[in-house]
Amino acid sequence: MMQPQQPYTGQIFQPTQAYTPTTPQPFYGNSFEDEPPLLEELGINFDHIWQKTLTVLHPLKVADGSIMNETDLAGPMVFCLAFGATLLLAGKIQFGYVYGISAIGCLGMFCLLNLMSMTGVSFGCVASVLGYCLLPMILLSSFAVIFSLQGMVGIILTAGIIGWCSFSASKIFISALAMEGQQLLVAYPCALLYGVFALISVF
Amino acid sequence: MHPAGLAVAGTPRQPSKRRTPVSQPGMADPHQLFDDTSSAQSRGYGAQQAPGGLGYPAPSASPQAAFLADPVSNMAMAYGSSLAAQGKELVDKNIDRFIPVTKLKYYFAVDTMYVGKKLGLLFFPYLHQDWEVQYQQDTPVAPRFDINAPDLYIPAMAFITYVLVAGLALGTQDRFSPDLLGLQASSALAWLTLEVLAILLSLYLVTVNTDLTTIDLVAFLGYKYVGMIGGVLMGLLFGKIGYYLVLGWCCVSIFVFMIRTLRLKILAEAAAEGVPVRGARNQLRMYLTMAVAAAQPLLMYWLTFHLVR
Repeated sequence: MMQPQQPYTGQIFQPTQAYTPTTPQPFYGNSFEDEPPLLEELGINFDHIWQKTLTVLHPLKVADGSIMNETDLAGPMVFCLAFGATLLLAGKIQFGYVYGISAIGCLGMFCLLNLMSMTGVSFGCVASVLGYCLLPMILLSSFAVIFSLQGMVGIILTAGIIGWCSFSASKIFISALAMEGQQLLVAYPCALLYGVFALISVF
Repeated sequence: MHPAGLAVAGTPRQPSKRRTPVSQPGMADPHQLFDDTSSAQSRGYGAQQAPGGLGYPAPSASPQAAFLADPVSNMAMAYGSSLAAQGKELVDKNIDRFIPVTKLKYYFAVDTMYVGKKLGLLFFPYLHQDWEVQYQQDTPVAPRFDINAPDLYIPAMAFITYVLVAGLALGTQDRFSPDLLGLQASSALAWLTLEVLAILLSLYLVTVNTDLTTIDLVAFLGYKYVGMIGGVLMGLLFGKIGYYLVLGWCCVSIFVFMIRTLRLKILAEAAAEGVPVRGARNQLRMYLTMAVAAAQPLLMYWLTFHLVR
């Protein structure tokens, strides 16, 4: 059952790249120069990661629905680890809770979005979006390292950051799934999820 | 629910695309161990290829072969992916047997206007006149279009919010730890299940002919969590006085709401119009409706009083 072999031309969502094979040599051939870089082969595209991060960081910028077409879990993994690391700096060793809550939260959002939208979503897409929108929460937990969040300033800051995270997440979901009139309804469960993370950071 | 035990480490999943794997970098060795059967190289070096290409070690002059270029691994990959596709199909087909997904979708067809109006109705049901659900060719209209239709979005969100608010309340009293969230969630879920089963049992015993489905019942019983959240939040802000005031108001509202909604579902047609009908059966149904409605404030108090000090 031989599959037809085609030379890999090194294109990952960027149609303009083209590889020019070097002249074949007797022993090595063009195998070494021809192969794509490791990151491209792994599917980690820094440009897209950066674009998605910028979309999260500018809550008022209109999101493009097609950026969520490729499921990319490398960025969210980094953000989860960074969140756990900043919690560690504050003396709370709770990596397990972070992972557990993000898993349960992603599962819950996945079920809810599948029930609420006309088109379904894949689990990878949900996990990817929620992971990217965790970035402002990292800011919150790094503040918690320096001063305690249990005063009035802390509460206002926490509420603001939760609002920022859930607004970005709902904006991306709405544009990717074409759900009208439901942005607040999608934002609320995201706010609950990020509220749990905030609970861990604050208390 | 013990999040501590769920140390799920997701692995970065590559986008699944078919591609020809290429050789390992840095191992360009004239005495390579594998035959290179990839066509780009093999066409150039036809004479030098050992054609026995199962990928076993054979010294030859061709360049480093790709690991997955030989037929056995290709077959394994194809088999693996078809197995995964079959598994997914199986889950999709059978999930409808356990969880009626299409029926559930009806209860989540809501939009922001509906949720806003329904929350208003839950807190102030006294002025609403028409409680009948509209039908469209024998099926009830989606909640988006009729405020009287039950939905599951509000109860689900209210339940989760209740668990989080309980965590917050315990946190302000310095009694918080993340596994308490799991404990609160399980106990609230247990009470809800108990309530649903008790009401289903009594409906069965009274032999009521009603179109009240189980999911409808879960939806109606979930509406009290909204009042509970309001009470606990007021209790956090204003102490016991605020808690009792708001909880009292919400208890009365949910009592009226439940009576007016269930009356249309459980009681016979005549009685639903407001005309008191004598007869043992209707009396029994009236008592059942009142019992269900009265159980709501009791449970609301029971599940929240330990959170407010």
